[in-house]
Amino acid sequence: MNVELRKKAKELLKTKQVEMIIGYQRGPDGISATPVFITREEEAENLIWDVYCVYNLSNYLKDFPGKKIGIIAKECDVRSIIVLLQENQLKRDDIFIIGVECSGVIAEHTLASGKESPGELDFDEKCKACRPSTPRLYDYLVSQKDQKDKGVLPEENPYQDIRKFEAKSIEERFKFWQEEFSRCIRCYACRQICPMCYCPRCVADQTMPTWFSRAPDLEGNLAWNVIRAFHLAGRCIDCGECERACPVGIPLREVNKKIEKDIKELFDYEAGAGVDQKPLLSCFDQNDPEDFIR
Amino acid sequence: MNKSQIPDHSPQKNSGDRNLKAPIKDFEPKIVGFLCNWCSYAGADLAGTSRIKYPPNIRVIRVPCSGRVNPLFVLNCLMNGVDGVLVSGCHIGDCHYSEGNFYARRRFAILKRLLEYIGIDPRRFQMAWVSAAEGERWAKLVGELVEEIKEAGPNEHFGGNR
Repeated sequence: MNVELRKKAKELLKTKQVEMIIGYQRGPDGISATPVFITREEEAENLIWDVYCVYNLSNYLKDFPGKKIGIIAKECDVRSIIVLLQENQLKRDDIFIIGVECSGVIAEHTLASGKESPGELDFDEKCKACRPSTPRLYDYLVSQKDQKDKGVLPEENPYQDIRKFEAKSIEERFKFWQEEFSRCIRCYACRQICPMCYCPRCVADQTMPTWFSRAPDLEGNLAWNVIRAFHLAGRCIDCGECERACPVGIPLREVNKKIEKDIKELFDYEAGAGVDQKPLLSCFDQNDPEDFIR
Repeated sequence: MNKSQIPDHSPQKNSGDRNLKAPIKDFEPKIVGFLCNWCSYAGADLAGTSRIKYPPNIRVIRVPCSGRVNPLFVLNCLMNGVDGVLVSGCHIGDCHYSEGNFYARRRFAILKRLLEYIGIDPRRFQMAWVSAAEGERWAKLVGELVEEIKEAGPNEHFGGNR
């Protein structure tokens, strides 16, 4: 399938349908995959697609406004592209999506463990909550006939961990997050890596007014992590990049998934379901639940 | 309210001793209320002009619409040691801007559940619809709110550095 991928990439560059292709190439360690930006036909030979292609490349799309860009995208990446399209951050005509069938990518920590063959590797947690292997939106699909059966089985109940945590007492919950957030060094890697965090000026960087403490203290860390998750409500497509980028290992996906579960329960809304869908907080329903309002 | 009437509840950050907490009967919570200009603020005003007595624990901030209230306002209050936050607007269908409270309702449904998940007492963030004619309802609401937040106790987690 890499052959088909490279062939299509060359064709797109040759016919000038795109000016650049964003994809994956083998990293310097010979195992992992790193992002690559291809503008010449001969460079297309470097393109790969396999279980090591963890990154969500859609984050790079908005760095090239007005350019025709081809992008290699799996299902979760495609959903983030859809959200960006919904929010008018991208033009559909400017991007060419080379969809790839995905049956799960590896958890990055297993790379460091020395395991090399795909059979021994652990799949990423996010893939256990994901069902479809074919992207829901693409301009060209590279099918993956040879590897179809391998991969992760979707979990029966993707929110069971969240429900378990919700059942704990309020003190226990606060203690847990207090400890987790106390490690936060406010490097904002979670924000930089997130395809949805594109504000030219983030609330965390504003000083007039300063919305929350900029120091890595309890108040600042808690406010930052709550507002980061809140600003992703109805937009987070659970690509898991924030958690992967976090240098201190805060389980950020557990906050994102909590909101994902709530908006499904409250508003029957799923982020990135389709290009025509309106952003969650830019629309409303007359019958939205209001049992919490007095 | 005379400042001396409010007992000092500045949290003892490093002691970790829960017994230092003031007894609940002496605790007078500080509550910040974001009131929409057209309904709730007028309702609170009516309570005042009707000379209805209600607890003075609430500090009112007037906003054009409940849809104006940013979740950051709520967080900012809580992080600065406020014991409770109330967002109050027009009843559904009565919004001066037609649909502002619909957006607020959606937004705060998510925020309320998120704060609870993070471990912040759900009684500390409340939302209500109070119309301009509901002066009595406003007074009753504030009374109930104060009782609830008294039960929840002082917001000891945050605001210790200020």
